[in-house]
Amino acid sequence: MWEVMFWPIVACVLLPWLLVYLGLHVVRRGIIFIDIAMAQMASLGICLAVLFHLDLQSWTTFGIALGFTLVGGAIFSVTGKRASQIPQEAVIGISYVVAAAAAVLLLSRAAEGDEQIKQMLVGNILLVTPLEVWKCFALFVSVGLLHFALRRNFLLVSFDRDAAYAKGLRVRWWDFLFYAAFGLVVTSFVRIAGVLLVFSYLIAPAVCGINLADRIGNRLLIGWIIALIGGVAGLFLSFWWDLPSGAAIVCTFGAILIIISIYSLWRPRAKL
Amino acid sequence: MPIFRLLASLLFVFGALASAQAKLNVVATLPDFGSLAREIGGDKVDVTVMAKPTEDPHFVDARPSFVVSMRSADVLIDGGAELELGWLPPLLQNARNPKIEIGKPGRVQASQGIRLMNVPTNVTRAAGDVHALGNPHFMSDPIIAKAVAQHIAQALSAVDPANAAFYEANYKRFEATINAKLQEWGAALLPFKGQNVVAYHDSWPYFAHRFGLNIDIFLEPKPGIPPSPSHLVEVIAQMKAQKIKTIIVEPFHDRKIAEKVASATGAKVVDFSQFPGGLPGTDNYVKLIDTLVSRLAAALK
Repeated sequence: MWEVMFWPIVACVLLPWLLVYLGLHVVRRGIIFIDIAMAQMASLGICLAVLFHLDLQSWTTFGIALGFTLVGGAIFSVTGKRASQIPQEAVIGISYVVAAAAAVLLLSRAAEGDEQIKQMLVGNILLVTPLEVWKCFALFVSVGLLHFALRRNFLLVSFDRDAAYAKGLRVRWWDFLFYAAFGLVVTSFVRIAGVLLVFSYLIAPAVCGINLADRIGNRLLIGWIIALIGGVAGLFLSFWWDLPSGAAIVCTFGAILIIISIYSLWRPRAKL
Repeated sequence: MPIFRLLASLLFVFGALASAQAKLNVVATLPDFGSLAREIGGDKVDVTVMAKPTEDPHFVDARPSFVVSMRSADVLIDGGAELELGWLPPLLQNARNPKIEIGKPGRVQASQGIRLMNVPTNVTRAAGDVHALGNPHFMSDPIIAKAVAQHIAQALSAVDPANAAFYEANYKRFEATINAKLQEWGAALLPFKGQNVVAYHDSWPYFAHRFGLNIDIFLEPKPGIPPSPSHLVEVIAQMKAQKIKTIIVEPFHDRKIAEKVASATGAKVVDFSQFPGGLPGTDNYVKLIDTLVSRLAAALK
């Protein structure tokens, strides 16, 4: 078992901490589907690269995908107005479907089958290679350091926007920086673990943490523990019952979330 | 429960160890290769097939057992023509099994030595073919299947010389069966020589070539691209003009689109499968071709 599951387990131990942290921001901002929208933007960029017959592994392709992610970040930071009739989630939803549909249109012209694109965009946690894990880890550490260095303003912008405006922060620029870094993290994690997993790592542990605790530090700690347990347990289940690994982890998170919700219904006042 | 599981898996491991000494572990990417491996290997091999017969061979979801079986494989049979391009390379990379590397006797690339049809002349693939090496759905031609079976027999003999005579005899038997059946299949489809059939995806050029049919019109405008309205209108017009009465679809295709076209043209939708097990009562290769031939003959009548 170890020879097969070792690197997936390493990936599930080394990588999710940043996603859980970003998940707290994302849940707080109420923009749950932003990760999927951003991943779709990146894949639209890759479809464009396919249309121009670029090598999918090249830096040009990466640059195009990154460019599209940044465009997404720009859209979301411009539309995230202080007071608006239109919820941010509507813009995110529209961006997702338009990017997805545009990818279909581009591919119908590009005419190369989508196996390669799919393989490139949507990874399988079972098949991660050590190199992929380390590259992703290095990126996560740098984004993590950025967030740590600027944590005061990032947290203010996500958790108390009025105070951020009152303090005179250029909220849109902070939003853009947040989305750009977020897009980079999400796109690279999707490439090694798939869309389902990135979504559940962002949202499920954060929701568990919010259910059980009030202070951000405690929420983060609970989220990390749950991400660790859910990921590793999911991989074990996937091995024992020979299930697709990503889906097994996602369902494990679902089960944990149900148990925790029932628990917090029973003890509504016992928050940390 | 966990103890029971542990015991069960220990038993499984011991069982695998015991049989590993006696039997060759043969892993096939797709069910058609698996069926041939069973014909040739008989009780001297354990065959593991990765893709399910009802699964699209272009997209297969990897499970942990795939890696486990590839690690312990003595022989791996794949198409070698980019059909499994989307999912096999990362599995191979992960399995790191030197016995099944390309060029080793334990690796059978079924398309080797086979002349693939529809090789795109345009290197940039702008013409819309996914597969630069040619159409990879070659197993629907029984004569090609014979060649692949021989290839498998040679590989098994190279890896397990003690049983070479056994594999050779099984191949001879398979060859004889196919030769006899070819007469039968050819006779059943002879009345429909030159007739046109529409397919959802371009998976049948070898079958069409072998049995003298034309399967050149597809519901997909390009391989892997979902049918567009204007393309379907064109297909419907062509079907009416040429009086085409049959559309073949596979389990993983969108049958509704085929039904829509069928109702617009008065044609019949016929369920086809490239893989043994993809249709009821087709648990091996010969039964599969039997079923395809009789279904098609009934539909064209």
